[in-house]
Amino acid sequence: MTAVTTTRRVPTYCYQCVAGPDLLTVKVEDGVATEVEPNFCAADVHPGGGRVCVKAFGLVQKTYNPHRVLAPMKRTNPKKGRDEDPGFVEISWDEALTLIAGKLQRVREQGLTDESGYPRVAASFGGAGTPQSYMGTFPAFLAAWGPIDMGFGSGQGVKCYHSEHLYGEFWHRAFIVTPDTPLCNYLISCGSNIEASGGVTGVFRHAQARVRGMKRVQVEPHLSITGACSAEWVPIKPKTDAAFLFSLIHVLLHEVPRERLDLPFLAQRTASPYLVGPHGYYLRDRASRQPLVWDLSTQTARVHDSPGLQEAIEGRFEADAIEIGPDGDVLADGLLPGSTAFTRLVDHMQPYSPEWAQTICDVPAATMRRIANEFIDHACVGQTIDIDGLTMPYRPVALTMGKTVNNGWGGFECCWARTVLTTLVGALEVPGGTIGTTVRLTRPMSHRHESVKPGPDGFMHYPLNPTDKAHWSPSPNIRNAYRTMVPLAADGPWSQALGPTHFSWLFLDETPKGLPRVTLPEVWIVYRTNPGISFWDTQALGEKMARFPFMVAFAYTLDETNHFADVLLPDATDLESLQLWRIGGTKYQESFWDHEGFALRQPVVASHGQSRDLTDIATELARRTGLAEKYVAAINKGAGGVPLKGEHGDYSLDLHKEHSREQIWDAVCRAASAEVSDGASAHGLDWWKEHGLATKPYPRRDWYLLPTMVKHGLRFELPYQERLLRVGTELGRRLHEHDMHWWDTQLKEYQALPVWKDFPGLWEAVIGQTGGRAQDYPFWLLTARSMQYAWGANAGSQLMNEVADNITGHRGVIINTGAAARLGIADGDAIEIATPRRKVHGRAVVRQGIRPDTLLLIGQFDHWATPLAKDFGVPSMNALATMSMDLTDATGSGADIVRVKISRAGAGARS
Amino acid sequence: MTRWAMVADLRRCVGCQTCTASCKHANATPPGVQWRRVLDMEFGEYPDVQRAFVPVGCQHCDEPSCLDVCPTTATKKRADGIVTIDYDLCIGCAYCAVACPYQARYKTERATFAYGQASAHETQRRDDSRLAVATKCTFCVDRIDAGLAKGLTPGVDPEATPACVNACIAEAMTFGDLEDANSNVSRLLEANQHFRMHEELGNGPGFFYLWDRLEETKP
Amino acid sequence: MSFGPNPWHQQSWDGRAAANFMFGGAGSGLIVFAALAGGPTWLLLAGAALVGLGLLSVFSELGRPLRAMNVIRHPARSWMTREAMVAPVVFAAVALAWFTGPRAAWLSGLLAGAALAFVYCQARMLQAAKGIPAWREPLTVPLIVATGLTEGGGLWLLLASAAGPATVLPWVAFALALTARLALWLAWRRRLRAASRALAAIDRAGHAFKAATLLPLALAILAASSPLPPAALIALQVVAGALAAAGGLWFKFTLVTRGAYNQGFALSHLPVRGVRHI
Repeated sequence: MTAVTTTRRVPTYCYQCVAGPDLLTVKVEDGVATEVEPNFCAADVHPGGGRVCVKAFGLVQKTYNPHRVLAPMKRTNPKKGRDEDPGFVEISWDEALTLIAGKLQRVREQGLTDESGYPRVAASFGGAGTPQSYMGTFPAFLAAWGPIDMGFGSGQGVKCYHSEHLYGEFWHRAFIVTPDTPLCNYLISCGSNIEASGGVTGVFRHAQARVRGMKRVQVEPHLSITGACSAEWVPIKPKTDAAFLFSLIHVLLHEVPRERLDLPFLAQRTASPYLVGPHGYYLRDRASRQPLVWDLSTQTARVHDSPGLQEAIEGRFEADAIEIGPDGDVLADGLLPGSTAFTRLVDHMQPYSPEWAQTICDVPAATMRRIANEFIDHACVGQTIDIDGLTMPYRPVALTMGKTVNNGWGGFECCWARTVLTTLVGALEVPGGTIGTTVRLTRPMSHRHESVKPGPDGFMHYPLNPTDKAHWSPSPNIRNAYRTMVPLAADGPWSQALGPTHFSWLFLDETPKGLPRVTLPEVWIVYRTNPGISFWDTQALGEKMARFPFMVAFAYTLDETNHFADVLLPDATDLESLQLWRIGGTKYQESFWDHEGFALRQPVVASHGQSRDLTDIATELARRTGLAEKYVAAINKGAGGVPLKGEHGDYSLDLHKEHSREQIWDAVCRAASAEVSDGASAHGLDWWKEHGLATKPYPRRDWYLLPTMVKHGLRFELPYQERLLRVGTELGRRLHEHDMHWWDTQLKEYQALPVWKDFPGLWEAVIGQTGGRAQDYPFWLLTARSMQYAWGANAGSQLMNEVADNITGHRGVIINTGAAARLGIADGDAIEIATPRRKVHGRAVVRQGIRPDTLLLIGQFDHWATPLAKDFGVPSMNALATMSMDLTDATGSGADIVRVKISRAGAGARS
Repeated sequence: MTRWAMVADLRRCVGCQTCTASCKHANATPPGVQWRRVLDMEFGEYPDVQRAFVPVGCQHCDEPSCLDVCPTTATKKRADGIVTIDYDLCIGCAYCAVACPYQARYKTERATFAYGQASAHETQRRDDSRLAVATKCTFCVDRIDAGLAKGLTPGVDPEATPACVNACIAEAMTFGDLEDANSNVSRLLEANQHFRMHEELGNGPGFFYLWDRLEETKP
Repeated sequence: MSFGPNPWHQQSWDGRAAANFMFGGAGSGLIVFAALAGGPTWLLLAGAALVGLGLLSVFSELGRPLRAMNVIRHPARSWMTREAMVAPVVFAAVALAWFTGPRAAWLSGLLAGAALAFVYCQARMLQAAKGIPAWREPLTVPLIVATGLTEGGGLWLLLASAAGPATVLPWVAFALALTARLALWLAWRRRLRAASRALAAIDRAGHAFKAATLLPLALAILAASSPLPPAALIALQVVAGALAAAGGLWFKFTLVTRGAYNQGFALSHLPVRGVRHI
């Protein structure tokens, strides 16, 4: 008798990394998930042809991984430590939830915040927001709860594109900055490893672009995947990209005829014509207090938004004005000398020639000069293009940056230089040029253009954290003190993770003067993140995690973080749980769609063991902590991704009932369906389970912010950072008024026009501070993305491990062939990498495609608890890097870079 | 007449291994066996270094050296160019494996699983007829034949197309009929400069690598 | 001009497959010498035993040994099939020789012919493996035949010494085989376009091979040309024969298990991404 096999294909989404979500189908044979395939039904709307990347193919193994934690577990060994066996034993869900709810109830009784004012409950989620697309209605429980400290980071805010996030959003609503790849012809990429990190849409678009003829120049210390696929590789010395970019600006301002720049753009769409006064602040109209420009038609100074202006971009002028400094201080009043911001910029960039830069970044001056000229040659200044019937400037040149360039010291300088360069040719937020993806700090998050609102001085409004005497406070709301220390971090739902998330860890041992003592949270919830691997100073981090009194970890497998937990909860993983999620529009990294809508992630197979959907866990926890009504109210308000009551209908859930997972998501589905169809339909869960997604068109012109800026009559706040100078000075005053001087170095980053500083020297100085000599630690250790592993706990995936092995570098540390030969190191040799205080061991991978002074560790390994990964024997920079105030910049970020020495293992012992 | 062939655009490939993984899914190959995989190749000396990502696998040659050496006739070549293996005839001598100049063949002695013991999906797809015999890329021949029977076009309709081609996120892989002048592969070969690997060995592979546009077609 | 990552050593055939060529070639050569140069009949058995040992060894490497009979299905093209078809002829001839009395000329011819055909099939087998540059070189064929005959001759001298010193003719045939094997090896080695690591392995074995060819050659010339006492001749016979056999066996072992690098992968052009690489 032949067996009857039932086969179905279930649509779902993958959002393991920030480049998603992407769409896929999973083949299910006789109830067993067997194959992942693209969702070709989405090919017409998905900018990656309905495809998913390699990591999604690991989801089947993830579901059936025999190492999964499949029952709730409780610790029996009260001692926590890396070498202490937790003694996890299985318990029932009832016992687990009773235990957790009991702890939470005690917190409610004591008060949601402690004696320092910090929330007693902390929660950490990794992956730059991606865990939200897997945690069901858990955010509704968190919202119902009250204040929660989400600042105990696993690397977010410091190891990400941090400076770009903050400054990008400040300058052009660009949480992440992207080229307009389909139209771009010339791209300068400073360390943006987009072919490894850009996901499906990134790879899809760039492959098409380079076949079309887009030239990408990859400026990076090693020949990354992206460098390999580029037209040119410029092996720059680490942390010198600011010098490189400064020299490009110098060429455009001092060697290229002025009329080749986009003068109308500079005059009308930037603050270039704003007059800067003797104290470095704008000259302002005495009555309106608005910044003044010099009007060439009337030969007078007029307010920047006067009608019929013919702004002078360059020049020094006198104007009857006032100059207002920080805290509203009037610094000068009368007939004041002013130069345009553009003239200030030209003067400022004078010393930064390619000849100056070449000694710093080890790139020939001729190369930098050529690149600058190629940039402007490709810029098509003056040309236009029709987008959806709208005539827009066509500027097919762009500049992108990656980690370690756009974070840490020097990140501000690089982001500023990149954006200024872009404005010089009018390529900011226009077709072909450098554009932003989305917003996370300004609101609304789901509609970037609606976040553009008029603010002061003709610029966009930005929700800076207050620095004025009346509103600034040294009592922060959470332990990483973002609201107190980082004005640009704003104060929205994402701000906690964009503050200095290493501060929460750092201050546990010693809180700096003026901030309330950093306390341990009573309850710490951890989901889909592994700071024990992914953050700096992993050993110290582990010791700190061991001190947390009660830690609840949603556990996929045992790992280096949940090793310290008190309770493990098995969550229904990617292919087992239910959620609806927004797709489309424009989003990082290169997710630019001509459609927007929603996609469903649905149980492809039944949950394994006793694992449960986070929606069900959240509902249960809400009930047990007396928050059921607030929880449902939060869902109604939009914690499930869509407000349930909108202009097209009311699908709100009854506050007084308990709703099943299916009921909740059915309501969300209907609301989403109504939104997508503009009220024409309200499909429920069953429809979504069959179809997987629904979209409506998204206008191509909304990829570009310029029309919205023009509509509101706003300028881009460049090149002169008068507001940041003001805000930084105010912050300094507030801190000093409270005798807080430990942020003084960071305060210097608030400059109107940034100068080059010896950024590499900062990391060299660390060697001296830790008892070594910089020349004895001559290598720059960097990291790079592994597309096969990144995010989603893929270190424990056998399939990812197997296929990643085809890409060089996954077995150890990459070292230049010549450098290796000089050290007597052969490919595959056991080696030791050391700082003055620590050392790690691994194997050498000898390659030509890396600077002789640079080493590269791909990804973040060094696991000791995660099954499979713990046997890799591949070291991590995170064991060598420390969390340090000195290496933290003004926005609270750092960078993945360490000065080290390398030798054959055992060689040190011999000498 | 039909001659199925694969075209890999080396300008597009980023080495992501999505095709490698999708082939493993579609064909349920055991750990270590990669009928399709992508190499990471480096050339030159610092600082003049280049790096390319190269999809490889069975080239379904015109004159397959594996076919000539096979003692059992397990390896055959269809009229449409696809080289097949009859697992039930194969005695697992691995002669074909050393005969293949593209290192495309595998032989797995005993059943192995990703995490030691078989997981549910490995049990579901288990096929012991493929143990201890030669295996290799089949151009997803079952999908092609089933698709053709339904009137679909391999290389155009996903259902009838090899899994690796479907999955590639760079659109680097194209599959089609060389004998059809208007097919996707024919048009790509006409517009671009291409080569076949180890051409000098005379196997006549059915696998083409694109590396640049043809001068005439450049703007 | 070609670019590519490094070749690696084939992982499909190990010592067991090497043993087939080692013992198959030596055994065939022994049968040829025993058939033509005479000596005790058990020498033929020894040869057949070696051939059988080799086949048994490679049989143990089969993935599906129970289907072994399928090996004869492709006589049209496969040298492995042909080898498998010639082997029974060799065994049958040896059995015939063993069980019948004094050998007729045709039987000697059959023995020698079948054994020669067997080693020839083995040589063609190796050469047809296009995936291994060191094997697919055309001179591999005569080289493998030559070394098989040389090893066989060496074994014949070694084993036949039990029945007394050899006459001149076998020494001359032995010397000719040695000369041919050396000349062919040198020519073969010069023609090889194999991976550097393959060549390194072949050259390392080549020292021993050349020594194990030249020394027996010198001894053969000595034995054939000088009037030496029988004890001395026997000593020469044993040493020369053993060396020649060992050298050949070692060469074939190395060829299969140390020098069998594939050609890796190569690109004849590098991709042009966006703009021709500067």
